Amino acid sequence: MIKPYLKYILPVILPLIILLLPSDSFGIDGLTLVEQRVIAIFVMAALCWVLEPIPIYATSVLIIVFELLLISDNGLWFATNGHPEVQGTLIKQSTIMATFASPIIMLFLGGFFLAMAATKYRLDVNLARVLLRPFGSSPKYVMLGIMMITAVFSMFMSNTATTAMMLSILTPVIALFAKEDIGKVAFALSVPVAANIGGIATPIGTPPNAVALKYLVDEYSVSFAQWMVIGVPFVVVMLLVAWVLLNRLFPADTKTIHLDIEGQFLKTPKAYLVYVTFASTIILWLLGGVHGMSAYVVAMLPVAIFSMFKIITKEDLKNISWDVLWLVSGGIALGVALDKSGLASNAVNAIPFDSFHPLVLIVGASMMCLVMANFMSNTATANLILPLVAALGASMTSLIPFGGQVVLILAVTFSASLGMSLPISTPPNALAYASGHIKNTQMLKVGVILGSIGLLVTFAMLFILNKLGVVGI
Amino acid sequence: MKKYLKYLLPVLVPFIILLLPASSFGIDGMTLVEQRVIAIFVMATLCWVLEPIPIYATSVLIIVLQLLLISDKGLWFTKSAPAEELGHLISHKALMGTFASPIIMLFLGGFFLAMAATKYRLDVNLARVLLKPFGQNPKFVMLGLMMITAVFSMFMSNTATTAMMLSILTPVIALFGRDDLGKVAFALSVPVAANIGGIGTPIGTPPNAVALKYLVDENNISFGEWMVFGVPFVVVMLFIAWLLLTTLFPASIKEINLNIKGRFLKTPKAITVYVTFVITILLWLMGGLHGMNSYVVALIPVAVFSMFKIITKEDLKKISWDVLWLVSGGIALGVGLDKSGLAANAIEAIPFAELHPLLLIAGASALCLLMANFMSHTATANLLLPLVAALGASMHSLLPYGGEVVLILAVTFAASLGMSLPISTPPNALAYASGHVETRQMAKVGVVLGIIGLLITYAMLYVLNQLSYVG
Amino acid sequence: MDKINIICVDDEREVLESVSRDLAYFADMFNIEECESAFECEELLEELDAQQEYVGVIISDHVMPEKSGVELLTEVALDHRFLGTKKLLLTGLATQADTIRAINNAKLDNFLEKVWDPQELQQTVKELLTEYIVEKGLEYEDYIEKLDPPTLYRLIKC
Repeated sequence: MIKPYLKYILPVILPLIILLLPSDSFGIDGLTLVEQRVIAIFVMAALCWVLEPIPIYATSVLIIVFELLLISDNGLWFATNGHPEVQGTLIKQSTIMATFASPIIMLFLGGFFLAMAATKYRLDVNLARVLLRPFGSSPKYVMLGIMMITAVFSMFMSNTATTAMMLSILTPVIALFAKEDIGKVAFALSVPVAANIGGIATPIGTPPNAVALKYLVDEYSVSFAQWMVIGVPFVVVMLLVAWVLLNRLFPADTKTIHLDIEGQFLKTPKAYLVYVTFASTIILWLLGGVHGMSAYVVAMLPVAIFSMFKIITKEDLKNISWDVLWLVSGGIALGVALDKSGLASNAVNAIPFDSFHPLVLIVGASMMCLVMANFMSNTATANLILPLVAALGASMTSLIPFGGQVVLILAVTFSASLGMSLPISTPPNALAYASGHIKNTQMLKVGVILGSIGLLVTFAMLFILNKLGVVGI
Repeated sequence: MKKYLKYLLPVLVPFIILLLPASSFGIDGMTLVEQRVIAIFVMATLCWVLEPIPIYATSVLIIVLQLLLISDKGLWFTKSAPAEELGHLISHKALMGTFASPIIMLFLGGFFLAMAATKYRLDVNLARVLLKPFGQNPKFVMLGLMMITAVFSMFMSNTATTAMMLSILTPVIALFGRDDLGKVAFALSVPVAANIGGIGTPIGTPPNAVALKYLVDENNISFGEWMVFGVPFVVVMLFIAWLLLTTLFPASIKEINLNIKGRFLKTPKAITVYVTFVITILLWLMGGLHGMNSYVVALIPVAVFSMFKIITKEDLKKISWDVLWLVSGGIALGVGLDKSGLAANAIEAIPFAELHPLLLIAGASALCLLMANFMSHTATANLLLPLVAALGASMHSLLPYGGEVVLILAVTFAASLGMSLPISTPPNALAYASGHVETRQMAKVGVVLGIIGLLITYAMLYVLNQLSYVG
Repeated sequence: MDKINIICVDDEREVLESVSRDLAYFADMFNIEECESAFECEELLEELDAQQEYVGVIISDHVMPEKSGVELLTEVALDHRFLGTKKLLLTGLATQADTIRAINNAKLDNFLEKVWDPQELQQTVKELLTEYIVEKGLEYEDYIEKLDPPTLYRLIKC
């Protein structure tokens, strides 16, 4: 184990050393001062996210502030007065600050508004009640139902909120299981697994997807609907795999179970407005090009409607997970810096990645992402790996037969959501583990198997989709 | 006015404007985008004046309508006209970016400072220490209270400052005799001082931040420069307000004791808060020396406080996001007027140059003062400042009087001087809720201070211009 | 990880020790403090506040010399510095009038009768701590092993 104080010292010392090194020691021709500082900021971010000496969203704020101080046109006096040749291009302060409200953040904000309104007007619980009915009372099928519903919800709500809601529905049921009935494990695990997987299906399902959108631009741009065309089948396959696996590993002895969810759909005018807005927003997202609005603009519609009609009041605004939005902003800011400073293209040119086989790169990058996502925040993982991978993907011509940059980015993004073998991997895992029904080893087993299968399914699916011409060039 | 009108008008009038032929506005070569900007502006005005929806929701609505109607990612039919007729579409990124424009970041930094100060009780403890030298004579205690309220409201929200000071005052006011007019003076002193104090710094109150958006390039005013004229103005106004309150409502009680408990926290986190607070303000005041502008400086406390968990992610949620969004809407409105080219076009079409510039300054600030008395100060500033800025930029006859800056500052100050009704500002509402103040009394003080304030603003700007400090 | 305290107040040494013993389950993550009088508790509260530590739960006896438990808890309820602190009255000798005052003025969160069931006390404190941590917005992940899952699931919204 590393010494506890190292986690505070390393993120300070290493970036400082990088800042102070002469610029020719990096082996990149013509490295400017700005580029060198970007490297230092990146290293600091990586260390802070991996070692977590400070909260992960604080790392994002730190990235943005250091970018403002060191590489912006309004930075510290000594950081902006170099010779233009040596110094490189400074980035505009408003560009860096605007990452706090980049279109991707707005997309997420729209998602938060939908989720908050759905929870406030009990659309989530009521939908769960209605949708679970057809699954009968055999534990096997009830579990399938729970997993499907959890997955669908987590496509539009935060994985954590979905997990908490479904677990609170499940808790009284699990309590009725016999003491040694191993089915308890299956039920308690089914929810976080489904929530983690479900998040993959839409761009707003989980923050790593949003981060990926930042790099899927121009000819590689993926619309909301296109993402779902890829994501939903993947989620369905993975859910079935997970369901079979959980049933095999932890078969339930109980013969029938009854989920008792009370309540009825609210029928006030405001509730109807929520239902209608929810449905129309999703439809508009799916229609994509037809109405001319991008997914980002569509996301602002529920924000306007819900605040106009006081469905989301200014008190409710406070329930938004601003820390999640800021965490994503930090990732975007990191990408902006790598890109606009010119470092991304410079560095990639300097390192002979082209000698790699492109498949090695795809597999290697996504495996690394999966491993990291198991130990740290999925979003932080995506924040770190995606800008690198995007830069690589853009420059590697040998990738093109395999679908190019898109395939690489999607593979890595999906693997960021597949890290779920430890209680600390994701908040849903932590919540399920807290129920006390699951052992570490059980979660590990399920997580590792699903992670590996998930990667294989991702590769297979991307290969097929590429052949069919749905993704890539 | 009929009740339903407030819902009907903000929908109908903008619609009519959208459907009118472009030639009916009397502006040559007006494009479709410009026409839509007018419609959005009218809608914003009606929504902020009539308040059918929450004021921050109006801001969101402005941004969304702009995205739908005049952005490059808007509705399909909004982009289909030939380029000549259509005009310039605005990039959706620029419009969304208003939610995180540098001005918003400045305010965010201010919120972080204020939240940390409250959380670590710096505000209460400072109030305790600073009030001590003012003794026990009601007159001077009141002066002390007003000074401290004003100083705090330069960095904290006026509402939060008022709430804090009133909670210190409440037990004291309870000791006053039943018919002692001094109660009124004390209860009024706090909101008055908070409203006036907000003028002292760019982050003191949202209208100032909105004004900064229009003070760019050669008109740019730094944090320190603002305070150079803002603080003296506040001092003079406070003094006048103090004289007015003690004359109108003399206290018959002879001595009062403010009893504020507590001591300065000395934990490492608390000390971090003190140090960061001081350093941030110093950096703001030093302006040019370190190269960072005030917007960048504002993010330093944000980083420090979130790193050391002084502001946790839960505290983040307590930020008044609605205020930030309200300001964003104003900025978006300005972006729309400016980037669509409407501002420049419209001013050319209307013969403002014939107006006497002093008439314009006096007229605009009087209008602003009037509006600020009846609606949100920020909304007033959001509406008037973009118009005034466009006017000011085009009017050459203004130059001898200091040009655009003088006009903008006069209007901005006027926006903060509207305080004659309980609904004028949240601090007024809080003081009115204490039950010690009658509307009539508040109106008298508010009207007198508003008029004197305007006159002082003119005098000050005139002097500053003569000294060539502004303009 | 933030320091969260559980304070037990009782004038009888043995009772205090026995409460502490029943709460030993929490000892590795939370700080358990013992006070023999309401005044001692007030001093401790001042001290903890000066260190900016959190007070999660106060478990107090009612009948104590000089100052009663209900009086103590009422003061805590009115002190804005301890907003959200959970208050549990643990007593065998409360009259109906005391109980009414305790609920109305001290905004009691829970009431247990002496002699108590250790299991029940532990479960109650667990629930109260969970509520405190989520409501205060502390990092519940840090304490999750000692929290009550159903309460946690109910309270987490995002």
